[in-house]
Amino acid sequence: MEQKCYIYSPDDSDERASKRRRIACAAGWSLREQLYGEFWAPLEHRIQTQSTLEEADSTTLEKIIKFVSGAVVAPDRQEAVIPTGLILAGSSIASHRSFFDRLGRKIVLDTGSTFVLLTSGECLNLKALVKSLIKKLTSRVGGNDDEEDEEDEEDENHTGNVSRIGPKLRDYDLVRLQEWYSKTKVDSIVVAIQDSEAFDFSVLAEMAELLSSWMDRLPFLLLFGIATSSESFQSNLSGAALRLLKGEEFNVTQADDIFEKIFCTTVGSPEVSLYLGPDLSRRLVDRQKDHVQSVQDFSDAVKYAYMCHFYANPLSVFLSQSLAFGEMPHDVWEATRNLPSFRRWVNTLLEDGRAKEVRRLLESDRYLYDNIKHHIASGQTAMFKLVSATSVLAAIRVIVQKVPHVPRSSLYIRSTSGELNGSPLIREMLLMLSKVSSDTFSSVLTSMELLQNSYVPIDIAVYRRELDALIKRNPNSTPLRSQHDVKNNSLRTTIVAQKVQLSKHKSTLSELDSSYSELVRRFHDDVENYFEETLIDPRDLFLSEILLYDLKSPLSEVFAPKPRFAIERALSSPHDYLGCDCCSSSEGALSGTQPVTAILYQLYLESGSIINVNDLWMAFHAIIGEENDESESNAMALFEQALANLKFLGLVKESKRKADHISKTTWKGL
Amino acid sequence: MLPDELLETLNDQFPCRELQIRRLSALYLPPFPSPRTLIVHGLEATGKSSIVKGVLETSSLPHAIISSRECLTGRHLFERTVASCLDALDAHSGYKIDRKPYCRCENLNALVIHLRGMLEGRERFVLVFDGIDSQREAPPTLLPALARFGEMIPNLSIVMIVTVPHPRYFYQSGIPYLHFPPYTRDESIRILSRNPPQIFLNAPEPALEYTPDLAEEDNLWVWSRFLAAVWDALAKNAARDLIGFRSLAEKLWRPFVQPIVDGTFGTRDFSRLMVHRRGLFQSEECLIDSIVPRSPILPPTSTTTPKTGPSILHDLPYYSKYLLCAAYLASHNPARTDSLYFMQTSTSRRKKRGGGAPKTRVSKTPKARKIPRHLLSPSPFPLDRLLAIFRAILPDPVPQTADIYTQIATLGSIRLLVRTGMADVLDAGGKWRVTFGWEYAAAVGRSVGFEIGEFLAGGVEG
Repeated sequence: MEQKCYIYSPDDSDERASKRRRIACAAGWSLREQLYGEFWAPLEHRIQTQSTLEEADSTTLEKIIKFVSGAVVAPDRQEAVIPTGLILAGSSIASHRSFFDRLGRKIVLDTGSTFVLLTSGECLNLKALVKSLIKKLTSRVGGNDDEEDEEDEEDENHTGNVSRIGPKLRDYDLVRLQEWYSKTKVDSIVVAIQDSEAFDFSVLAEMAELLSSWMDRLPFLLLFGIATSSESFQSNLSGAALRLLKGEEFNVTQADDIFEKIFCTTVGSPEVSLYLGPDLSRRLVDRQKDHVQSVQDFSDAVKYAYMCHFYANPLSVFLSQSLAFGEMPHDVWEATRNLPSFRRWVNTLLEDGRAKEVRRLLESDRYLYDNIKHHIASGQTAMFKLVSATSVLAAIRVIVQKVPHVPRSSLYIRSTSGELNGSPLIREMLLMLSKVSSDTFSSVLTSMELLQNSYVPIDIAVYRRELDALIKRNPNSTPLRSQHDVKNNSLRTTIVAQKVQLSKHKSTLSELDSSYSELVRRFHDDVENYFEETLIDPRDLFLSEILLYDLKSPLSEVFAPKPRFAIERALSSPHDYLGCDCCSSSEGALSGTQPVTAILYQLYLESGSIINVNDLWMAFHAIIGEENDESESNAMALFEQALANLKFLGLVKESKRKADHISKTTWKGL
Repeated sequence: MLPDELLETLNDQFPCRELQIRRLSALYLPPFPSPRTLIVHGLEATGKSSIVKGVLETSSLPHAIISSRECLTGRHLFERTVASCLDALDAHSGYKIDRKPYCRCENLNALVIHLRGMLEGRERFVLVFDGIDSQREAPPTLLPALARFGEMIPNLSIVMIVTVPHPRYFYQSGIPYLHFPPYTRDESIRILSRNPPQIFLNAPEPALEYTPDLAEEDNLWVWSRFLAAVWDALAKNAARDLIGFRSLAEKLWRPFVQPIVDGTFGTRDFSRLMVHRRGLFQSEECLIDSIVPRSPILPPTSTTTPKTGPSILHDLPYYSKYLLCAAYLASHNPARTDSLYFMQTSTSRRKKRGGGAPKTRVSKTPKARKIPRHLLSPSPFPLDRLLAIFRAILPDPVPQTADIYTQIATLGSIRLLVRTGMADVLDAGGKWRVTFGWEYAAAVGRSVGFEIGEFLAGGVEG
């Protein structure tokens, strides 16, 4: 007999295989873990609250609540129509759960209704649906309600007073719910279907019929969560079911709008303490747009980035504000001296002829510590100014018309990559700014006043005061114009000796207008200087590796794995994984030394959609045979094993069309 | 026979059903024997259940009504039956029956035993099964067995309410039938005219000398004429039953009387109002059922407005849209034309429109008319074909990340793509199919700047 299974009992010796740790300097790990906690927690909190505020979209929630409380009907209803709300919740089905949870809590709190959430997994048929509906409702109140399942055999004998109870109710009998309802007297029973599309539509239609027949006794109300559109949802239900449902539809805010807001208030906000670099941010934003639209996913990605920074980079301890020299781990100094930004900085120092300082930096840890401390502080200020400038730019661009809309996230990405200074975006904005009329200028000032927690050295209040004074002096209602406004110029054509001469003429500006122009010009210069000063390339800063996290690969490895690519690569070029000597000579070519499955897979790649097994075997044998000189039976065994492996991987299956053939089910590179 | 005044009340409650009420009340009158089994049949909304219930209630016979709509399984039905019979007997006789013997009722046999036990030595009992022909998970012998219950239990009468009686249901002849025919035009209008809705939602000002009595009279006058118009225009063909007719009339009522409320027409200007609002009866929008009530909008007098495509309120991610386009193409293009449409090397794609070269001779009709592919039902395709087309139509290459596969799974769970055949999920040869139509696919494609019609074999017409 072949042994089917065996018990694995490792010997008790505690000799664990010594794992070679690749962490060069693991020092200060606990410090960094603590730091990570300090840095991540406020950001996470902000993402959570923000997403709650925006995504739940309080107006939509309010509307639904209003609908639910308005739909409460008189107890003696004749109409068998169920009030129904269609909630268009968007295609990011992962976020539906949290939305419905919030909705449920709010409904229970704000109205006298009770709330049940059903998902497609627990409702494969009508019976299961009603069962879970009853279970969820009744267990919430009593807790000790009838818990017994279909096993009603034994209790018949034990219970002496059963005589009055009579036939036991099935656990899918809505009479149970009626008894429960008579005890609780809720206003309505809100049944929310979280993923309506995933349901079998016949189940939904049957549910509608069943619930509507109970509408004269139980006040049901249905909410459907819909990912596509209400038209496509309704087109799947039968007319009879549709006639039983009447209600409204509600729209939840679009996922990408929410994402933009959340990005601005979290990663793109000046207040965060660890900034994400441009490459990483671009990756995050693109991923949201192209693949998934979920706030949770974004939050996870940012969290992972923080973790990577603090757990994998020993130098991140320097971000701690309170750490004294003595508490620092020892090996960080040497690590710091190897940083590219350190070298760059030292080089500039040397160019300035400050060799002594450089020597001290290299020799004295204490001196290095002081310098690091200083540079971290100044670097953080610079980053703060940079991101503030981005938000100022975004705010002004929104107000000043006639410039194309650029999302804030993309501005952030550009600014952190140092592209923004002197870019067409800035120039265009400054040009428009010099032309604004007084009312637009006023709103620009207002929006800059509203920017909280940002670095704005320009004294807005002064401008505001002067502008107010000018407006007060303005006798007519038209806004003051700036002299740079093109509308103030008029083209004049004069014909001199049959040639047309075009000449620009400034229309005469009033005294008020010219003083207003002066004001705008000053403001324009201030803003220009401000951008000039703040928009630096953060990667030029000393210790930018610590201030800015910008590694893409850890994130893409974890969040965008390539399972299919990995399998295909392993099979088609096994050398990449094995790294053995025997195969390296024949790069990309078949050789008998490769694993047999890999050989067969490469043959498989060369063939068409239907493969003759005999041909495959011949080719396989030719390769195996030429190197190893194996016997045919051995080779056949290897061939069968390899083929079984391919089948196990789902790459081939038997062909029904032709005998002795297998059909190819996958193609490489898809 | 029931006393005349009781009959009168019943007739008043359920108009246009004198014959059926008279027959039922003759059959179920306490001192006289009742038929063991009666089949009451008729289409939806013909008053079967309510009239049976009304007659039994007036006749003071002990009875129980079991609605099959509320019973999910056969066993559920049996236990429901036992419980309601016990309740009815308790209520009728005034003392409690010991329910201990009736705890369980798994099958038809147990039901017979229980019913026999509880009806032993009692007077006649009527058991009504409402909608028994659409019982879920019913045992196959349910209907014939129920039809013979009366033979086994002498003092039990069974009434079965079904939509369409089929003689083969019961394996028995000689069962009396009672037919409830659908209401005719006049009957429908008569029934619905009994409670006309208001023309003026707000009470008229007393200064106008328009008393509530006058308003009531006007309501009835306009409503009955309006009902006739609705019946002739729409309901005759599309909403013949009473409920459908009523809901249709209610849907059209407010827009119809709007000119009266606005003061354009008087309440008695029915013919002018009719002409003015004829658009309501011409468009058939209101016949389409929908959860969200849409107001029947009068079509503009000149031409119909250009139809807007299905609204895609919620944006899908960029690659999901391309996946949907690829899936649509994979479902509608024959696989052998793929190399023609999607090969990267063939730069000049053949854009055949209308399935062939322009025909020179118009008179000769082609032997087999080709149906444009987007009008055909989608055919299943393997997953790799979808991915291959996806990569062929994408303007830029995309890495083979798991995100793509996740999106396919997401699209599958919101049922835009479905797996055909209930095969194993891990089966390599699993096939997929799209569930959306041409308009949706074209709108999705257009939102990413991809003209799907250029890639559809045979082109798109119209």
